[in-house]
Amino acid sequence: METDRLPAVLHVNGDEHPLLLEPRRTLLDVLREDLLLTGTKKVCDMGDCGACTVLVDGNAMYSCLLLAVDCEDRSITTIEGLARDGRLDPVQQAFIAADAFQCGFCTPGQIMSLRGLLDVTPAPSDAQIERAITGNLCRCGAYRHILDAGRLAITLEAAQREKNDVHAAR
Amino acid sequence: MSMRAFAYQRPASVDDAIALLGTSGASGSTRLLGGGTDLLTLMKADLVAPDRLVDVKRLGDFPDTIEVTAEGLVLGGRATLADVETHELVGQLYPALSDAAGSAATPQLRNMATVAGNLLQRPRCWYFRNARFDCWLKGGDDCPAREGENQLHALFAGSPCVAVHPSDLASALLALDATVRIRGPHGERAVPMAAFFAQPTDDRRTETTVHADELVLSVTVPPLADGARNIYLKAMDRKVWAFALAGAAVSLRIDDGKIANARVVLGAVAPVPWRCEAAERALNGSEPRDEVFASAADAALEGATPLTHNAYKVPLAKGLIRRALASLTDEASRLVSA
Amino acid sequence: MSTLHVDHLSSGEGDEDAYRLAEAESMTPWETHATLDVVGHGHARLEGPEKVTGNARYAYDVRLPGQLYAKVLRSPHPHARVKRVDTSRATALPGVHAVISGEDAPEIPFYENTVLFERTVRYQGDEVAAVAAETEDIAADALRLIGVEYEPLPFVVDLEAALRPGAPNVHADGNVAGEPKEYERGDVEAGLREADEVIEHMFTTQVALHNCLEPHGCTAIWDGDQLTLWESTQSVFTVREQVAEKLDLPEHHVRVIKHHMGGGFGSKQIAWKQSVIAALLARRASRPVQLMLDREAENLAAGNRNPTQQRVRIGAKRDGTLTAIDVRIHQAVGAYMVGGEGSNTTGIYQGLYRCPNVRTEQIGVFINTGPAVAFRAPGYVEGAFGLETAMDELARRLEMDPLDLRLKNYTGEDQVEGKPYTLPDGLRHCYDRATRAFGWRGYERPPNNGAKRRGVGIAAHSWMGGSGHPPGYAWIKLNTDGSVEIITGTQDIGTGARTGLAQVAAEELGVPLDQVAFHLGDTANGPYAPASAGSATQATIGPALRAAALDAKRQLLEAAAQFLEEPVARLSVGDGKIHVEGEPDERATPIAAVTGSIAPHMIQGQGARGPNPKDKTVRTFGVQCVEVEVDVETGEVTVLRVVAAHDCGRIINPKLVDSQVIGGVTQGIGYALTEERVVDAASGIVLNANLEEYKVPTVSDIPPIQNAHVDMPDPEANTTGAKGIGEPPVIPTAPAIGNAIYDAVGIRLHDLPLSRPRLLMAMESGKGEEARA
Repeated sequence: METDRLPAVLHVNGDEHPLLLEPRRTLLDVLREDLLLTGTKKVCDMGDCGACTVLVDGNAMYSCLLLAVDCEDRSITTIEGLARDGRLDPVQQAFIAADAFQCGFCTPGQIMSLRGLLDVTPAPSDAQIERAITGNLCRCGAYRHILDAGRLAITLEAAQREKNDVHAAR
Repeated sequence: MSMRAFAYQRPASVDDAIALLGTSGASGSTRLLGGGTDLLTLMKADLVAPDRLVDVKRLGDFPDTIEVTAEGLVLGGRATLADVETHELVGQLYPALSDAAGSAATPQLRNMATVAGNLLQRPRCWYFRNARFDCWLKGGDDCPAREGENQLHALFAGSPCVAVHPSDLASALLALDATVRIRGPHGERAVPMAAFFAQPTDDRRTETTVHADELVLSVTVPPLADGARNIYLKAMDRKVWAFALAGAAVSLRIDDGKIANARVVLGAVAPVPWRCEAAERALNGSEPRDEVFASAADAALEGATPLTHNAYKVPLAKGLIRRALASLTDEASRLVSA
Repeated sequence: MSTLHVDHLSSGEGDEDAYRLAEAESMTPWETHATLDVVGHGHARLEGPEKVTGNARYAYDVRLPGQLYAKVLRSPHPHARVKRVDTSRATALPGVHAVISGEDAPEIPFYENTVLFERTVRYQGDEVAAVAAETEDIAADALRLIGVEYEPLPFVVDLEAALRPGAPNVHADGNVAGEPKEYERGDVEAGLREADEVIEHMFTTQVALHNCLEPHGCTAIWDGDQLTLWESTQSVFTVREQVAEKLDLPEHHVRVIKHHMGGGFGSKQIAWKQSVIAALLARRASRPVQLMLDREAENLAAGNRNPTQQRVRIGAKRDGTLTAIDVRIHQAVGAYMVGGEGSNTTGIYQGLYRCPNVRTEQIGVFINTGPAVAFRAPGYVEGAFGLETAMDELARRLEMDPLDLRLKNYTGEDQVEGKPYTLPDGLRHCYDRATRAFGWRGYERPPNNGAKRRGVGIAAHSWMGGSGHPPGYAWIKLNTDGSVEIITGTQDIGTGARTGLAQVAAEELGVPLDQVAFHLGDTANGPYAPASAGSATQATIGPALRAAALDAKRQLLEAAAQFLEEPVARLSVGDGKIHVEGEPDERATPIAAVTGSIAPHMIQGQGARGPNPKDKTVRTFGVQCVEVEVDVETGEVTVLRVVAAHDCGRIINPKLVDSQVIGGVTQGIGYALTEERVVDAASGIVLNANLEEYKVPTVSDIPPIQNAHVDMPDPEANTTGAKGIGEPPVIPTAPAIGNAIYDAVGIRLHDLPLSRPRLLMAMESGKGEEARA
């Protein structure tokens, strides 16, 4: 049976990456090893922890349980895709302000889960914020501060939208 | 956790996919890749090693929709658990389904996992999932869980295997008397949920009657009768993101102050979703009272044979059934009096 | 340097350094009520932007040209003789660049008089061979091609079974690990006779797995005969010393770097075998090699919290006065004592309460499972469950409020050493803060809600760690533009040490925090600092850094005196400027003007940690109150809220302290309710070496946790008055939860975890011996 590498184009953080991929390689490994996007973390590699969470067409998914070849033509966003020109995303800002991490290893996954939530639900309830990160383990135990960060991110994002609207109106 | 090498194909249609399943060589194996949340973990644990994966994620004729039709609610096999969880009509009419889907796994996994894959997933038994154990379900001679660490295992086992079925959705679908539409090389067949799942046998060491060259197309839940209600309750050892220690799916209706058409299904107590007909008999025709619920719960666990470490499941399952019944009939009585 | 002096100590005790470099005697502690500019404020973590963008580089994230990925073949047997290892097929696999096994590896001595690839494997997960290949997938393929012939040996994986006569021996000379630790004061038997009530129980605690999210491992690079290890470690200097020794390299040929690490919790204090294996593979392949453990290996072979069996007897007079505490503890160390176990399970029994008659015995036991190592407050977490549960039971028996029983037996002194604590009222303050914030006195139980019952519980601790200790060093550079660089060989293991320490330096130097850069975690870059363990980093390096800052400040002021033509005595530094006494702040001179004036000369400060007080004992204390709800129909326990009050001396950064306390309680909830390694007795195989069935808490398991700040500077402890807070918040959580469950439903569980199955069975069999009326 032919298990040779297949050509595939991955769309990651707005960039196109033409690659030649062994079918068995996961999106997680290709992000980390081929594209050197090491912000997405490998912890359990079995869908049990959430550290590898990325957005695929806007939906939070575990990149350790996705074949990279299967992600062809999907729009993939990783933690590296959030900050633009050195300006942090409101969720990232909120994580710093709320001290929502300690070792920081689960942090990219947590942020991507909340980013995925806010993209479709700009003003989530506390219960929705909590639910959005039920699939992201944090061993240092920063959960309570992550919930604070989620709430803070709503405010920061709304303020930023308002500022952008004012700019647009001018 | 690395997978062995395999080939990858993306067919153009369901029939193409089924044809590819049929072309596996004598020693080879081809598996369908849907959400991948179970298959890839089986491969990473080196429990299965297909030499080809056929990706059915993008097949236009493999339904991913959820529709309410004259025949009832149709869940596309390719619909995700997140689709089931968040579908407005499902939530209104079939809370058992949305609660079962929504209590499974995590948001990320629910965004990936499909209805078909959820029904076909293999048990989570830690002996089965560990390649170092040559257990009966994997073709070995006996079940190490029987005398081992069986705290998560079955109260009712009709085969050498004492693993429990891990699906929450399956219990709810069985309680709602759903039917599965399956397509194979010779066309389609409709299988009631009760026949879809079957305790593994020496010749068929799986939990379903689906053949290796078939694909689960969709699941149909019959329309609800007037005043019908359903519920799914799940007990876990942490608040979220765990397979059930026990689950209870109940559907019934109140007819003239009495319970009718009760269906009671327990999850995580047997290798298949476990229908409790004795409990149903105790309920049908009775008034919804605590004593009736208690005797139904007792009847449901009649014949349970706890293993060395899982006797707690007996009071737990009873508690869930009583609570499910109380909660359903509370609602119903409120509706009646309103 | 004028701020250093060498202090020759006459003490011949092994635990004291023969020589100490200490801070200047002139250095006085910050006063208890001093108003400080930078210290005491909740500054955001310095490394925040790196961590939220994914740019923080962990050992796992190192990517070098030509880098290979390594994997380790591990024993599938709990005990076996390795008769033959055939690596020929693996070596021949394309993409494989190096293979190593006991057949060809150097005989490097390792734990318990064994070697790197031991011919007898003693637990499932013991190292047998390793490969380095171009991808992880190829490395995994290669492992499958290694043929090993094992001769399985009898094994024992259960603590109790290991002690039975005729049990299989883990090591040739039996299963007792090391010397039993015995302690006695007074006359315990007399104390028990004197008692009106005696509580006697066997308590057991489970094996907990650290499950650091970043696994153990490193990336090894050779440059000639110089080895660099990017290592996920709590102690770069320990790894350097041990790797250098094992590879027979001089220490200056080994550099260990750790910028960020994804959790350690005590398990990353030593050089584990994989660090040496990675270095050997990298040398064979002549390419950089990354060897990170996978999750299964992490849970089999990288440490765990030892299980215990605690036989406890506690006696008291009718009025609650304790007359005796007697405990005998067996604890399993796994197959090897690897160093860094440090599990003092009897410590809390010896010191938490005033009691004249105390006898403790702690016996380590070998079993055929992965080695146990320190895990956040090792020993005290396990011991607290037994002691604090027994105290609650005693209070019920005496019909006393559990808080009153604890206060009745309060002690402000170290009864083992016969010395007072530096803060004799520290624990009292914690009781007061926690119970007030919680509303312990006058708590009114809400009416039962259906099957749901509420209850409250309390537990306390005094922890041996947190004091910090010498040696530990720090340097400070003042750049010509007035910016500041801190250089020390310590680590920030996720606690926020960078930030808390930088605050100390900025405070002493009189500069704003954003003018400070921090370089740590690199043996080639800065002086020695000890392991970030024992809640010691802030209290060890903080004073050293303050001394370094003082040294730099003295030189700065001398330079400023010349520049400004003012006597030093009239000068001070604040907010990045040199102030002249009596002159308005607007006329202050920026530091940059002074440092610029002496350029290219550079001001360099050095500091060292001085000794701890000799006549007093430094401790950290804490109290937690918990409210739970128990569903008597389904056995579900919901922790509703936790109030924690922990003494850590002066609070350097309240935001970071909150995070430590909340994080510790969170781990404590997992330890209390759901976490437990499960081993199959028939095969010796660990069944849940994963994050699926080893259940750490999720966000939904954690209720609001209030940190009721106990900001009591401890000026006798060290010159910053700050103590550690990393470990202690995990200590009292489990017994507080167990006591609250008892309060709610009258069921007393003596075994951890307080799992749903256990509680259901206890309720089913009506084991609640004192069911609440």
